Amino acid sequence: MKERISALMDGELEGHAAEEAIESLRGEGEALESWRMYHLISDGMRDTRLLSAGFTGRVSRRLAEEPTVLAPGPLSSHLPGRTPAQRLAYAGAAIAAAIGLVSWLAFGPQPEVPRTEMAVGPAPSVAMTPVTVQLTSSANDYLLAHQGFSPRVSLQGMVPYVRTVAERGESNK
Amino acid sequence: MNLRRVAAALSVPLAFVAGAAIAQSPETLSWLRKIQDATRNLSYTGTFVYQQGDKNETSRITRLAPADIERLEVLDGLPRELVRTRDTVRCYLPEAKVVKVEKRTPDRSFPALLPDQLNALAQHYDIVLGDTRRIGGFECQGVMLTPKDNLRYGYRLYADRATGMLVRAVTVDAAGNLIEQFTFTQLSLGHVTPDMVKSRHAGANFRVEDAQARPAQLAGWSLTSELPGFHKIVELTRRLGDSKPVGQVVYSDGIAAVSVFIEPLQGKGEPQRPGLASMGAIHVYTRQVANHMVTVVGEAPATSVQLIGNAVEYRRP
Repeated sequence: MKERISALMDGELEGHAAEEAIESLRGEGEALESWRMYHLISDGMRDTRLLSAGFTGRVSRRLAEEPTVLAPGPLSSHLPGRTPAQRLAYAGAAIAAAIGLVSWLAFGPQPEVPRTEMAVGPAPSVAMTPVTVQLTSSANDYLLAHQGFSPRVSLQGMVPYVRTVAERGESNK
Repeated sequence: MNLRRVAAALSVPLAFVAGAAIAQSPETLSWLRKIQDATRNLSYTGTFVYQQGDKNETSRITRLAPADIERLEVLDGLPRELVRTRDTVRCYLPEAKVVKVEKRTPDRSFPALLPDQLNALAQHYDIVLGDTRRIGGFECQGVMLTPKDNLRYGYRLYADRATGMLVRAVTVDAAGNLIEQFTFTQLSLGHVTPDMVKSRHAGANFRVEDAQARPAQLAGWSLTSELPGFHKIVELTRRLGDSKPVGQVVYSDGIAAVSVFIEPLQGKGEPQRPGLASMGAIHVYTRQVANHMVTVVGEAPATSVQLIGNAVEYRRP
């Protein structure tokens, strides 16, 4: 079944075979888990940007609210550059992922690590102009954690720490 | 005189040698030491303004040197208070009824500029005495740190000529534009009692968020290349708020510091969006590496923080 899901992802199934594979994704079975896993691996390998928490749920709700289209378009054709060899690469990445997990665990206790937790080797570090984002109050924990190691504390005492907490007031305005 | 030797050994251009020759002037370095000693040994209480962009924020700081306790109270906006003792920093957030606790780990003391670090500083900054001027009633000596590249900010420090107490600290970019500034508007030396450094929330029943920092080796994680002058000073695991353990690696050039935080994506509630954010001299750069969120926080130009962030890599150990 896993191979079917993988082939479905790559757009290699057609007609009845595709329908069968899609049907198998209903419910919370092994097929759906594989579907999610393969996408996660694929996203991991491409360093895809993180979606916000609960994204899937929100999309599902929005879809449920959409009117039903009675004349569906044709199934999308073959996606370029997705070969069985690459599927093998994904499987390899999954093994690498398992090993990566062990080493992360090695530096600290981490209860309740989900099974999908993985690291897939060095991600491509593409230098590009980053998106400018607003600091939220969640950044304060990082700032507080950082200030304690800044050598400026030896010249100014706690004065620079004011930057840690200043933002909280602003973000709560 | 050993900086001149270092400079000569590196065969830096003549102009740089000249700069280094000024930088190593014993008087200049002794002023940095004097500021550091005053910060540690003086008891004082004062009000200062933190200025950044169009933002001004007033805070009060009090230090009782014999007990080694310091208290910082933010007077504008939401009430916030930080108290630092010899081995712990507590950050009280009365509205959330939370106290965040950072304990010193055994192998780590609060940062100090040691003599050899001062010499290292002079490799990346021209350090010269500046003008003297009167600030808040104090006759101050300027000490100027001008970066030799655009990977770090410059600093203009003004300290009381008599005691070495830092009265104004200005951060500027490579072009000399003001990035942020701390200035005491009122400062009195001595006459500090233990009551004055006690938190007003000390007895309150706040939820405790302990960072639980401990030294660690973050297996597999490293930088493909270090930023010139920035060396790793500490590597640990810790909690952020009530998070699961995350990794933190700190790099410093002697005065500026950049922290790299590494945390698994799974289990993070609302992660900081990928991208670059800034507040005064601090930049925060976030990206994903190998299914982990890497957050780089530093008092350095955006380029430096990004370069470090983009150099973070994971390799199966």
